[in-house]
Amino acid sequence: MAASPIEQFEVYPLLPIQVGNLDLSFTNSSLWMVFAVALSTVILAISARGGALVPSRLQSVSEMMYELVANMVRDNVGSGGRKYFPFIFTLFVFVLFANLLGMVPHSFTVTSHLIVTFALAAVIFIGVTIIGFYRHGFGYLRMFFPHGAPLWTAVILVPVELVSYLSRPVSLSVRLFANMTVGHVLLKVIAGFVVSLGVFGIFPFAFLIALSALELFIAALQAYVFAILTCIYLHDALHMH
Amino acid sequence: MAAGFRVAVELTAALVVGGGIGYVLDQWLGTQPWLLILFFVIGAAAGFLTIYRTGQELDARARERRKAEAAEQKAKTDRKGSGR
Repeated sequence: MAASPIEQFEVYPLLPIQVGNLDLSFTNSSLWMVFAVALSTVILAISARGGALVPSRLQSVSEMMYELVANMVRDNVGSGGRKYFPFIFTLFVFVLFANLLGMVPHSFTVTSHLIVTFALAAVIFIGVTIIGFYRHGFGYLRMFFPHGAPLWTAVILVPVELVSYLSRPVSLSVRLFANMTVGHVLLKVIAGFVVSLGVFGIFPFAFLIALSALELFIAALQAYVFAILTCIYLHDALHMH
Repeated sequence: MAAGFRVAVELTAALVVGGGIGYVLDQWLGTQPWLLILFFVIGAAAGFLTIYRTGQELDARARERRKAEAAEQKAKTDRKGSGR
């Protein structure tokens, strides 16, 4: 009766595809990624079609998302940030929809897998590093040595700065993954209490409702945090701190 | 809560990356366990550096918000004063 709280994270192939030694199966994880992309595309396309002066509800939602990301890029990336707006917006919308779709009962939370969030973070990390070197050439290496420090301190400072820089994709991906996983495990555990406590299950049930609201908030917040940290990394690459 | 979680993840991430680099280099060069120890310490320093920067950033943002709020408050009282 009481299902394991981590059963919901199981990845299984829906459409087995084998290419050589590579397992390229279309899994439930892939399916929910497709759902996230499809749903966000449909919502944005429908709401952009009207372009009414007095927006409908759907149009207001898209406009709010657009403004949120536009302000974020302007405030955090600074000059020259407009160019990267489409990327940040896509990233934000994808993570937001993946998180929110995960809140639908019996769905699969794509972002609760470390490899998914790490793939996103790795793309950001590599992209930002390339942008940095493209903009500053080898001068970008000064990023690892604070301006004006005595030269002999480089022995200590450069490795420290390097490790700090390399830990960015790890902290970026672990934060999103941990938040989603912990939230969903907690929901499942509390839901298990509802069934096993019988009549008194009403108490954990009430708590579950509040917790669901909190999880919806966290789903949106973590998408926001993911996007804003990307902006900050981009700012460092463009302007060097 | 979000800020606390952010700091915790940043500290552990730097430690894990530092320790990981040390471990891999040790395996490669056969110098167990010295590089692991060295890079673990470097990772700890990097973690604290990241936390320090995050703290500064959050601090600056909070200060900006407080300033904006104070300006808004002031504008409100000014309007009230001139209206009478």
